[in-house]
Amino acid sequence: MWSFYFNELVNSLPFFIKGLWMTVAVSGLSLIAGTIIGFICGVIRASGNKLLKFIVGAWVDLIRGTPFLVQVFIIFFILPGIGIELEAFAAAVIALTNLAASFICEIVAGGILAVPSGQREAATASGLSAYQQLRYIILPQAMRTILPPLVGQYVLLVKDSSVVSAIGVVDITRVGWLTVQRIPEGLMVFGLVGILYFIICYPLINLSNFLERRMTVVSTRL
Amino acid sequence: MISFKNVNKWFGDLHVLKDINLEVAQGEVVVVCGPSGSGKSTLIRCINRLEPIQKGELVVDSMNVHDKKTNMTKIRAEIGFVFQSFNLYPHMTALGNVTIAPMKVRKIPKEEAEKLGRDTLIRVGLGERIQSYPAQLSGGQQQRVAIARGLCMRPKIMLFDEPTSALDPEMINEVLDVMRDLAKGGMTMMVVTHEMGFAREVANRVVFMDDGQIIEVAPPNDFFTNPQSDRGKYFLKSILTH
Repeated sequence: MWSFYFNELVNSLPFFIKGLWMTVAVSGLSLIAGTIIGFICGVIRASGNKLLKFIVGAWVDLIRGTPFLVQVFIIFFILPGIGIELEAFAAAVIALTNLAASFICEIVAGGILAVPSGQREAATASGLSAYQQLRYIILPQAMRTILPPLVGQYVLLVKDSSVVSAIGVVDITRVGWLTVQRIPEGLMVFGLVGILYFIICYPLINLSNFLERRMTVVSTRL
Repeated sequence: MISFKNVNKWFGDLHVLKDINLEVAQGEVVVVCGPSGSGKSTLIRCINRLEPIQKGELVVDSMNVHDKKTNMTKIRAEIGFVFQSFNLYPHMTALGNVTIAPMKVRKIPKEEAEKLGRDTLIRVGLGERIQSYPAQLSGGQQQRVAIARGLCMRPKIMLFDEPTSALDPEMINEVLDVMRDLAKGGMTMMVVTHEMGFAREVANRVVFMDDGQIIEVAPPNDFFTNPQSDRGKYFLKSILTH
């Protein structure tokens, strides 16, 4: 029986690969958009504008203080109620982007604030504009602090993306749910699901560890 | 060149600059001294608006520094500032440190800025360390890069905030030598320092501050041999006996 199910599972592999691509697509898009938005919000959070800082801070707290599944449901089920119709895929990308951005915002703000204030003073004194200071002086130094946890956050993002299966996005997790109804060997099916996630995440984990070591070496050199 | 008129500054409730009046002429070297917490650093940090003032007027090169409409980039480009803790950019080489502002603020093309940077680093005695990162340089070398960074903007004024206080004794002179050369070259300078030898030799005037006020302004010889105020006498006694 077991070998029968195993053969069935092997036959279902193309379906799993499709799910894998869906997971990669949802996480990849959210990763890019979330990084961009997260950096912008992080810069704002580390800046001097009190009102903007408060707004971004409140948003971050709200996102961090509510379960991701609930956020996905709010975006998917409640937005249509106010006239915004979303496909499951779009809703998933929006929800995941929102989550990623809020975490990345904190990582970026932390990195910027860790740059000694003398750096900003020296840059100010030499006449560099606020944007130039950020671009040439502050961010390049902050990146040392930002990069390792940022890549670590990408790993979490890929794993969190499994939640969007709840609104019908056919990602790896969803493929697992659908398959287990045909092949009632939970361990086998979800073992495969786990392996597929691991295949995406393991290189990222290594990259994060590598950056962590490298940044430590660089900062001792500097 | 620099003109303070009734300048007042508060940090919250703390009145750190009290009715400061001071004129610094072009080419003049003014040394500011006084006990710690007397407002010396704050005084020179107001000149390029690293610190805002709350009352009075501060004019640099006929531009009002604390007027909201003033183009601060223009003023700051004319003023080199050297910090006690160097504040070099650790991710850039010595050459990168001195060329970034000329390229981005003055919009000088890269090749020209690098030539200017090399020449200036050679001038402060660091021709061999152009490609070194700050962490590979000694304190004295770092501070000379910091001075070169200011000079590369071809400023009209150089401000020094305790430039030798963070240095080991044997490195102080290499920095002071560069500053002496600058002074001889006719640079307008304000220097917060406890290096009384340097003050005697190079300064046109010494400003003695205490408790946020200017107590005395005098040529160095007069101030060091015959201070007029009691606080000045006490200060000199305390630094000369240490």
